Amino acid sequence: MTFSWRRAAAVARKEWFHIRRDPFTLALALVLPLVMILVYGYAIDFNIKDVRLAVSDSDRSQASRRLIDTFASSDYFRVHPVASADDAVRDVAAERARTALIIPPRFEKDLLAGREGRAQVLIDGADNATVGPVSQYVGAIQTLACRRIAGADLTPSYQLRTRFLFNPELNSRWYVIPGLTVVIMAILSIFLTALTVAREWENGSMELLLSTPVQPIEIIAGKAAPYAALAMLAMAFVYIIARTVFGVPFAGHLWVFGLGCLLFLVAYLAQGLLISVVARQQTIAMQFSMLTGMLPSNLLSGFVFPIANMPAPLRVIASIFPGRYYVELLRGVLLKGVSIDILWPQFVAMAVFATLMIVLSTLRFGRRLP
Amino acid sequence: MSGAVSISVREVSKSFRRFPALHGVSLEFEAGRMHGIIGPEGSGKTTLLRIMLGLLVPAQGRVEYFADGRPADFEALRPSLAYMPQTQSLYPDLSIDEHLEFFRDLYSLPREIYARKREELLGVTRLAGFVDRPAGQLSGGMYKKLGLMCALLRSPRVLVLDEPTTGVDPISRRELWELLYRLLDENVLILVTTAYLDEAERCSKVHLVELGRVVASGEPRRLLESEGARSFDELFIRRAAASAP
Amino acid sequence: MSAPAVETRDLVVRYGDFTAVDHISFSVAPGEVFGFLGANGAGKTTTIRVLCGLLRPSAGFVRVAGRGYEDGERAIKAKVGYMSQKFTLYNDLTVAENLDFIAGLRKLDPGYYARRRRELLELISFQKGLDARVQDLSGGTKQQVSLAAALLHDPEIVFLDEPTAGVTPAGRERFWRLIRLVAGQGKTVFVTTHYMDEAEQCGRIGLMRDGRLVALDSPAGLKKSVFPEPVFEFDPLRSLSSSELSAYAAHEAFAFFESYGPRFHAAAAGPEAWARWAPELGKTFRIRPIAPSLEDVFVRVVEGRR
Repeated sequence: MTFSWRRAAAVARKEWFHIRRDPFTLALALVLPLVMILVYGYAIDFNIKDVRLAVSDSDRSQASRRLIDTFASSDYFRVHPVASADDAVRDVAAERARTALIIPPRFEKDLLAGREGRAQVLIDGADNATVGPVSQYVGAIQTLACRRIAGADLTPSYQLRTRFLFNPELNSRWYVIPGLTVVIMAILSIFLTALTVAREWENGSMELLLSTPVQPIEIIAGKAAPYAALAMLAMAFVYIIARTVFGVPFAGHLWVFGLGCLLFLVAYLAQGLLISVVARQQTIAMQFSMLTGMLPSNLLSGFVFPIANMPAPLRVIASIFPGRYYVELLRGVLLKGVSIDILWPQFVAMAVFATLMIVLSTLRFGRRLP
Repeated sequence: MSGAVSISVREVSKSFRRFPALHGVSLEFEAGRMHGIIGPEGSGKTTLLRIMLGLLVPAQGRVEYFADGRPADFEALRPSLAYMPQTQSLYPDLSIDEHLEFFRDLYSLPREIYARKREELLGVTRLAGFVDRPAGQLSGGMYKKLGLMCALLRSPRVLVLDEPTTGVDPISRRELWELLYRLLDENVLILVTTAYLDEAERCSKVHLVELGRVVASGEPRRLLESEGARSFDELFIRRAAASAP
Repeated sequence: MSAPAVETRDLVVRYGDFTAVDHISFSVAPGEVFGFLGANGAGKTTTIRVLCGLLRPSAGFVRVAGRGYEDGERAIKAKVGYMSQKFTLYNDLTVAENLDFIAGLRKLDPGYYARRRRELLELISFQKGLDARVQDLSGGTKQQVSLAAALLHDPEIVFLDEPTAGVTPAGRERFWRLIRLVAGQGKTVFVTTHYMDEAEQCGRIGLMRDGRLVALDSPAGLKKSVFPEPVFEFDPLRSLSSSELSAYAAHEAFAFFESYGPRFHAAAAGPEAWARWAPELGKTFRIRPIAPSLEDVFVRVVEGRR
């Protein structure tokens, strides 16, 4: 029997009725992504500012004051004088400060005598999120401080100036939001479809449906369509918020972006349908969809942990799921402004995954009752 | 497919994990007549119907389909089959009209034919005033009538009804049967499982099934006379009593 | 004279502007088997809910085992057992686990519970082990165990909502034997059913239509009052077209004409009309006098006179 558009459209229309009359699903699809992107977007900020610096100055000389000043006048540190070196350490231990600057008694004397002036910077290593950036700041300030204190022009013979491509100010939001989008849309789309087939099995309507000429592929396509439309709408909302509220740039082409989103969503919708077909029970489908939607997109998409750092087996797994390609695509379109000539591998990878899911769902559907 | 359809069940057996459902069942369902399949709960009636509709695969045996006396392919016949399952199988949040439109498209009915059929069916079932009511808010009798309308929408050649009037009040039962009678003139093969004597008596042939086996087949009144029973209930009760320890 | 087990006067239940139960009044004596009939949506389930202490009426007087809503819903629930159409037991638990659970909910004394459980399982002749899972029981056995569960706290009244749906004929017979036993112990049994042969076994029947109680009497009484005329069975000698059938349905010889499978039941419109038409009708039908059945009563009362 050939594929009938009329039958698939009938299934799609029926599914649309169900969606429209289920306020919970609608709210979930449209409101949840917005809430998540707003909350996480504001909450996650990898830029470090106003790091508390506990300063213990046992020298109280002009040099030491100049050193402290250099730290204070930068945006990165907030100076907080303490009485002694021990107090400084205690502050860091008690998390009242992130870093400590300890200046020993003969700092200036040593400097002027041509010996090295030794001051110590302690960084809270227990907080791995801040260690990296803070030590970089310290390094930068050190160079500056040296120049100021010595009063001499210590320009080295060459200079290395780093410029950060595509995200010159290292605005962490620009980096985070694309990844966050992946996570949210993955969970949402998989969840939406995971229930729909299982629900029909549970309420008994599947038996009647299967006795009609409808084909499993028509059921799959018909059910996926309205959810794809819904998810695209949610995606549009997320995009608007990312652009207007968080100021994430958009350097690429809208159609590349749209097509990439659609492909990604279809891939996860199809995965949800596969779960629904196999599980046949809504509770199981829901749990499984949360698991397989959340974990790969959270951990294996490159959003939080770089894929290159993962051991080989995990890298392979990460390459199977569309999450990773979507992150690359989003970054490409939003920040780098590249188009399909560069991004075609990502498109192909997602298309392959989506096709695989659809084929598996159709094959596993089975026109037979259990 | 305009031909009269008949079905032959040959030595069909089916087991489920917990119990065997059908043992070597062989039955002939001639075209254009109403056949009753009668048996207590758990006798295998529903399993038999599902196998005949292609929803289950028999472990042994096969089902053969004939159109106008010639062997026919099941997939080709599928659009001419209509089914009304025993358990709830409609969508509670869809209205009567939405259900009718859904099944219209599943069976690719031309619009004019649909319009005519819809008016006819709504008239007979007296549901015309409820077309916007969701199925979940229909009473038991109305719900069954909707199921029957969905089945009758495209003038099927084979109509399979699994306990269509169980749990329905006497008046709604009559209305359902009124709908069915019109089909008898149209050479439709009707298979119905029922526990009601009067419904069994309307069938030209009944097949008694118990514990997955065919116990007797024949014209209903003659069968009862030969067993000396006034109803099929009584017949089965007597058999149960006879076989009990 | 003992007080009635159930009594209502002008009971009204409204959902918004829809009146589900419209001023019904009746009383049921202790130990009676009372049948409640009517089309789905006629108000039976709503009325039962009120009588079980599950739904406060919008208006009217209700007394169940001497308790009313002014005593609190729990007061009523303590005296009432309820068996719903969808089983009251958990399929994946065993019989013992189900009964233990109910005993716990009802806070039954352990000694009392043990004794009562033994009594009830004996009453229903329960052969399987107590550790049999409910889903493994046959439909009829499940219903019997449900009944036992509803009787566990020894209620004065038990409400059975279509208790024999999906049960074999033998199972239904057995169940009704149980009902009679239970009623014999002095309990009041309130049953709803669509099976007319079961309705025949009730002491009295109440028929509801559109929220009103349109008939209330014993089966015999109902038949006499609803069919004062003689009733006949009409067996067609040849097959009739649907137009012929509609003509007969409107025939002036009949005050009532209804199909019964392939045959018809008809009530004569009056001795003169009958005498005039009977000979001609006799050519198309084989006519014999019958006693009206409860199904005839149901159809005539609920449909209204034709």
